[in-house]
Amino acid sequence: MKEKKKKFTLSQKHNATGWAFLTPAALLIVIMSFVPMVKALILSFKTGVGANMKWAGLYNYARMFQDSVFRQSLFNNFFYLIIQVPIMLVLALVLASMLNNKNLRCEGLFRTMIFLPCATSLVSYAIIFRSLFAVDGFVNTVLIKMGILNTGYNFLGHPWSARIIIIIALVWRWTGYNMVFYLSGLQNIEYSVYEAAKIDGASPFQTFWKITVPLLKPTILLTTIMSTNGTLQLFDESVNLTNGGPANATITMSHYIYNMSFKYVPNFGYSAAMSYLILILVAVLAFVQMKVGDKRD
Amino acid sequence: MKRKLLSAVLSVAMMATLLVGCGNSKAPAADAPAGDTAAKQEAAPAGDAEAAPAAEGGNTLTVWCWDPAFNINAMKEAEKVYQKDHPDFTLNVIETPWQDIQTKLTTAATSGQLDTLPDIFLMQDNAFQKNVISYPDAFADLTATGIDFTQFAEAKAAYSVVDGKNYGVPFDNGAVVAAYRTDILEQAGFTVDDFTDITWSEYLEKGKVVLEKTGKPLLSCQAGESDVICMMLQSAGGSFFDAEGNPAMTDNDKLKEVMNVYSELVKAGVLVEVNDWDQYVGTLNNETVAGTINGCWIMASIQSAEDQSGKWAITNMPKLENVDGATNYSNNGGSSWAVTSNCKNLELAADFLGSTFGGSTELYDNIISTGALATYLPAGSSDAYAAPSEFFSGDAVSKKITEFAGKTPSNNTGVYYYEARDAVAVAITNVVAGADIDSELQVAQDTVSFAMGQ
Repeated sequence: MKEKKKKFTLSQKHNATGWAFLTPAALLIVIMSFVPMVKALILSFKTGVGANMKWAGLYNYARMFQDSVFRQSLFNNFFYLIIQVPIMLVLALVLASMLNNKNLRCEGLFRTMIFLPCATSLVSYAIIFRSLFAVDGFVNTVLIKMGILNTGYNFLGHPWSARIIIIIALVWRWTGYNMVFYLSGLQNIEYSVYEAAKIDGASPFQTFWKITVPLLKPTILLTTIMSTNGTLQLFDESVNLTNGGPANATITMSHYIYNMSFKYVPNFGYSAAMSYLILILVAVLAFVQMKVGDKRD
Repeated sequence: MKRKLLSAVLSVAMMATLLVGCGNSKAPAADAPAGDTAAKQEAAPAGDAEAAPAAEGGNTLTVWCWDPAFNINAMKEAEKVYQKDHPDFTLNVIETPWQDIQTKLTTAATSGQLDTLPDIFLMQDNAFQKNVISYPDAFADLTATGIDFTQFAEAKAAYSVVDGKNYGVPFDNGAVVAAYRTDILEQAGFTVDDFTDITWSEYLEKGKVVLEKTGKPLLSCQAGESDVICMMLQSAGGSFFDAEGNPAMTDNDKLKEVMNVYSELVKAGVLVEVNDWDQYVGTLNNETVAGTINGCWIMASIQSAEDQSGKWAITNMPKLENVDGATNYSNNGGSSWAVTSNCKNLELAADFLGSTFGGSTELYDNIISTGALATYLPAGSSDAYAAPSEFFSGDAVSKKITEFAGKTPSNNTGVYYYEARDAVAVAITNVVAGADIDSELQVAQDTVSFAMGQ
């Protein structure tokens, strides 16, 4: 009886300590993150110029479907997502399994080199890519010197080449970041599994698809969700690399939301509604990916 | 057990105090990034209220503006001019980039915290209408404060007039100049006089000759921006909007003509489009082009290539044909001083602005060396403005530009100016790529109408 009581207080005490540690962080998150989210949700049901807002129900959400610029930005975002995320993740996975090779020398050097792009600021790398692909930039100069082009090609002046440049830039910037996740995931796979496969006569290709990929599934799922999330919220590249151009061919949803709030006549209700659409898209895609990726046998 | 419980209670208490401590220190800390500025300006007006009765006329005004070499310098000079008659007067100028001013204004006005604003700040002319109409509570009406607005170039003053009320004191001049490399023109057999008072079709023909003989285009501009379009349009008194503020892009003969001229220039190679601002300035400084057309503030960038001194000359821009009211003069850019509703001493702020930027040729003489050309018309007749510029072939450029400014037709920027600019930039990009002008203008009109239908 006495023991039971003691145990009860012990768990209660543990709970109290737990709560004491949790409360400050939780409170800060609520105040800094959740309160603004709720306020933004309320804002998304209002309409008006600047500070003069009035209730409008679902008007802003209906409005999005008639907005040709928003539709264009939605298309651009999904184009980046569908093309860039698979390329980047496959590349990261391949690089990670290459770097995981026990016989590789200077492993740290390669790892650092591939991760290094992540240490550059988003704005500065976007500006560097912009000057690389300028009409009189480095890439054109090289192509002309090699005799491939006669005059400089305006990469950022044509819709499809501009989109491809953004994808190249994104792959350069984020592959190393995802590779690090895969590397740490690979550390958790017993090396003996690979040795056993080798003894059984599995080719490196088979080892990769039959062992590495299935065992890394949770990490792949994580990086897919993070990349989806990041791509849908893409902002810096659109603003700094192409400025949304030519003719809105590369503008992203976040860039358009920014314009709507700070460049154009401020329409915060509409901006908030568009932000919520991004949230819904991210949530739905993450849910689908989790359902697909979490098929336990 | 008891002791453990006690220690747990104590640690909870400690957490609580920490949290409260956090909460307390959070409040001022949260203000801090918005600036030491916020703290300063709050101190300043409070300071005046007490100081005013004590020292007669002794007052401080807080000002936000962004360029140390240009408008901050102008404000400091204005302070000196005003201090001659008002020795107790001081200014507290805080360097704030325009983007930040816009964001802070938006934040202050939407949250109702207008006391975070300074007394006076500098605003881009293109954003003036938008901000005054979006946040009417944030601005002070200057109409009846004794500032003589008729002394300013009419087109310039019009930017800061909303519903017939003056909300701003015009500052720098954005009168359009056409700058040419005289040495390159010479190679093609032209002088600057051949490019003075001409039309765009003459410009195109001569441009083709220059391109053929020297391999250099006459003009460069930024793709995806509609600066050149806006300058051409305003030179004929045209606008993207009608008098009621409704978008008027379709059935707009002037705009259609402008789009035509622009795409012809690009197709002929006389106008070359680059992707960003640095490349644009690069084309000027690296001798890629034989000239440019822009607001007169571009002269600062031109002059950064010191080895080209004496090789440049300034004249007016070409004018449109086939449309009414076409001139050789236009405007691009520029800014005006706005007084906020947070200003506790409106009389002082108005008197200060009225007797310096709106009444002192001495001030404009002092700041002319930085390229701050006045929109205050009497300043143009002073001696400093007649001084020749060595860089621009010994021409009295300041005087010339002030004259240009006086002849510029006014245009109606409307509230949705930035939307219209972007929509037209999209249209012209597509037109240059081969699309039909009428249908693209229809799309632009629809885009702007859509943005306006809140």
